[in-house]
Amino acid sequence: MEYIRNAFASIIENKGRSFLTMLGIIIGISSVITILAIGNGMKQSVGGELNDMQAGGITIQINAKKTDKYLTGAQVRMIGDEVPEVYGASPTISGYGDAVARYKIPANFKGGNEYLFHDQKNVLSDGRYFNENEAESAAAVAVLSQSEAVLLFGSTDAVGKSFEAIIGGRSRELTVTGVLKSEERDITSAYRYNSGRDKSYQSIRPYVPYTLMTQGFGLAGENVVSYQIFPLPNEQDPASLRARRVTENMMGLRGQGAVNVQSFASMLDSFEKILDVVTLVVAFIAAISLIVGGIGVMNIMTVSVTERTREIGIRKALGARTGSILLQFLLESAMITLIGGLIGMMAGYGLTFIVSKFMSFPPQIRLEDVALVVAISSSIGLFFGIYPAFRAAKMNPIEALRYE
Amino acid sequence: MEKLVDVIDVCKIYNPGENEVRALDHVSLSINTGEFVAIIGQSGSGKSTLMNMLGCLDTPTSGTYMLHGMDVSHMTDNEQSDVRNREIGFIFQGFNLIQSLTAQENVELPLIYRGVSRKERERLAVEALIRVGLGKRMDHKPTEMSGGQQQRVAIARAIAQAPPILLADEPTGNLDSGSSKEIIGIIKNLYKEGRTVILITHDPGIARQAKRIVTISDGKIQSDIINPDADV
Repeated sequence: MEYIRNAFASIIENKGRSFLTMLGIIIGISSVITILAIGNGMKQSVGGELNDMQAGGITIQINAKKTDKYLTGAQVRMIGDEVPEVYGASPTISGYGDAVARYKIPANFKGGNEYLFHDQKNVLSDGRYFNENEAESAAAVAVLSQSEAVLLFGSTDAVGKSFEAIIGGRSRELTVTGVLKSEERDITSAYRYNSGRDKSYQSIRPYVPYTLMTQGFGLAGENVVSYQIFPLPNEQDPASLRARRVTENMMGLRGQGAVNVQSFASMLDSFEKILDVVTLVVAFIAAISLIVGGIGVMNIMTVSVTERTREIGIRKALGARTGSILLQFLLESAMITLIGGLIGMMAGYGLTFIVSKFMSFPPQIRLEDVALVVAISSSIGLFFGIYPAFRAAKMNPIEALRYE
Repeated sequence: MEKLVDVIDVCKIYNPGENEVRALDHVSLSINTGEFVAIIGQSGSGKSTLMNMLGCLDTPTSGTYMLHGMDVSHMTDNEQSDVRNREIGFIFQGFNLIQSLTAQENVELPLIYRGVSRKERERLAVEALIRVGLGKRMDHKPTEMSGGQQQRVAIARAIAQAPPILLADEPTGNLDSGSSKEIIGIIKNLYKEGRTVILITHDPGIARQAKRIVTISDGKIQSDIINPDADV
């Protein structure tokens, strides 16, 4: 206890120098904290978004580099029937083109069967989805979101209205059977579009029968290269495993790795991996700065020990044992780095707070990080304090007392 | 009378070999409890080496030093530290106070190393500071005090834990004559209270205050006399 008080007094005694000594530690710790906080915040917010998306389907793709075999729409339907963990499977055939009603708007038509609407994000606000019969018979129907309806027709009241779809020069007249609820964000961007500003990148994504894409617009022939499955709740992993196996069996592609599963879970995984690597790199840089800071502490402590040679001599003459002197200087350097670490932590959180103002996620401050900072910074002090403390402890009292 | 200090045929040799320096050359000296001894010698006479030896800051090359019945001539550093802490109160020429600590904290220092509880430490330190007439300056730092006052703090530090021996090394060397008188007065009073005082000096005027005067030169004891003029 007495030693801690003494160490603190001596740090206060040399405020300016102590602070400069701490600087390296402060910078190191604050960057560690900032990175940890931003990293965690990013993981949480992006992870959350991806989780939202995961409510939708898992995409199964046939790798065109490994095989030239394809599926048909009927086969995809069969796969959906054979995998017990899914509601069903829908081919996905996309086509880029335009939709024309009030304006000509770029559109990315998404072709599928009726299982497309098992995507949990799709909630009808009006009308109905297209059914199996329409999905398989190239019916000229489409399902839009509210904001897309506003874009095309000027209002959400779009059921029964029709618009012209143009893909690859071919044109068809499509009738809207259903309107989906939009998220607020979509509506505001639709408004912006409507009022004539910011037209450039707005496009719509109407759902249409996949047969319309193949037969009506002549896309992809009869061939399906990717489809989506819609797993039952909490069955994502077994569903995608089984769907892949069934597909490989059906196509005779077992063991060739030609069928890929692209779930949001795996995207989330790879995202986290990237983030982990970034965190690791920055942590490594921070570790170097901490080591440099530690060497700075060692330097200053060595100078301080030399300057206080006389004090050490006095203490020894008065009966301080080697261990007492050692402890005194170790505690002093540990306390310097600990205080530096705590200041660095506060600076780090301040920095995180500022950074988070410019980014869309909240910083995450965790108790483990605080504990980590305390542990790391004080052990840096202990480690780099060993050498100067030993120098102090091993001094000869007679020579130390004579030191001017 | 109990033999407190018993130095038996002690040599201290620096740079053994051709250029060896015999700082102490077969020195024998014993001091009883309650004595007031001055050790006088010119610089280079070996008196500093003798003082370091007596203060357990150094060990002899040969010979034996019995302190309080203990052989302290072959101790480890830590054992010596403990003996210093328990047996000896140092009063140095340069005061040797720690600048960053207050008077009271300086006086408490040896008590900390002895492991005395905080409360007891405070009591002993205050008592000792009052004894040397510094009851009103306990919170002052050395830089805020005169030389005489600093030396009084050092004396308080030396007596706070009531060690058997007070070892004063040129205690008035850095002081003006007024302060010197004060300090010598305090030391004499401590002697009168029954403490054993060893005073090391080069100044015959100071040495004359002691009951017994030991003269050292060239590492040998030249004379060891009872001082009839001592006014104590």
